[in-house]
Amino acid sequence: MGLRRTRPFAAQRGRRGAVRVGLTDAERQLLAALFDDVAALLDPDPADAPAATDPWRDLEAALRVEPPSDPAVARLLPEGHRDDDELAQGYRRLTEQSLREAKQSGLIRAGAALRREQDPVVLDPDEVAALLKGLTDVRLVLAQRIGLHSDQDATDLHDQVGRLVHRAQRGEALEPAEEHWVTMASLYETLTWWQEALVTAVR
Amino acid sequence: MSVAPVEVERPETVESVELDAGWVTIVWNDPVNLMSYVTHVFQTYFGYPKIKATKLMMDVHTKGKAVVSHGTRDEMERDTQAMHEYGLWATFSHDQ
Repeated sequence: MGLRRTRPFAAQRGRRGAVRVGLTDAERQLLAALFDDVAALLDPDPADAPAATDPWRDLEAALRVEPPSDPAVARLLPEGHRDDDELAQGYRRLTEQSLREAKQSGLIRAGAALRREQDPVVLDPDEVAALLKGLTDVRLVLAQRIGLHSDQDATDLHDQVGRLVHRAQRGEALEPAEEHWVTMASLYETLTWWQEALVTAVR
Repeated sequence: MSVAPVEVERPETVESVELDAGWVTIVWNDPVNLMSYVTHVFQTYFGYPKIKATKLMMDVHTKGKAVVSHGTRDEMERDTQAMHEYGLWATFSHDQ
């Protein structure tokens, strides 16, 4: 099918809100594995747990919920309030666990849909919604890892990837850090393209 | 206690809602979320028509932020959490 090569996602004719996946098997497996990785990242980090203390002596400290120390996880579970620490604390205490669980169950659901033995895989609207959120979560994590922090960084990304790929193609050995960066950044660009295609398919 | 039917017809909640409203949910610009996706989220979650969703998305993109909903603190916490589920960068605050 010519469609497979060019359109990663397309609206399924005759089924409102359903989307046909045009990714290759390898691409589906890759995306599902990324969803697993981000779901695992969302398990509470024991290092972030408050240090053992006498809760009666310092009840306030015991109740504090610090933002996750990994900046990528912190971006997935952001502050609910910017200026008021008390409101931010209250929000995090109230929502962080359910937000973690909602994201994890969405990632697992999207991954399971992508791994379904079906040709082609057709997603129902709930799976599409989970996939859209999952793609966002993976891109947010990758963006942190590759240092994409501003709109300008996003604009420059494609050229930066191009320069490194060009150097590698000329036979130049890339530094391990460059190699790692260009792999992650290329992946980020690919996922951006897939997500854009998926949004277009459901609009 | 009895209430005249004509009284019951009145939108009785308006006053109490306004007392507690005065909170907002703000969505902030970030370099990751796609313009198309942000518009889609505003349409899907808030049920805004496409033209309003697009305008709010453009405000986020060009002005750095946009107020996307108004209501009570509980409602705004709920909207903020929903935005976080979608991966958008949102906060709630008292409307000033």
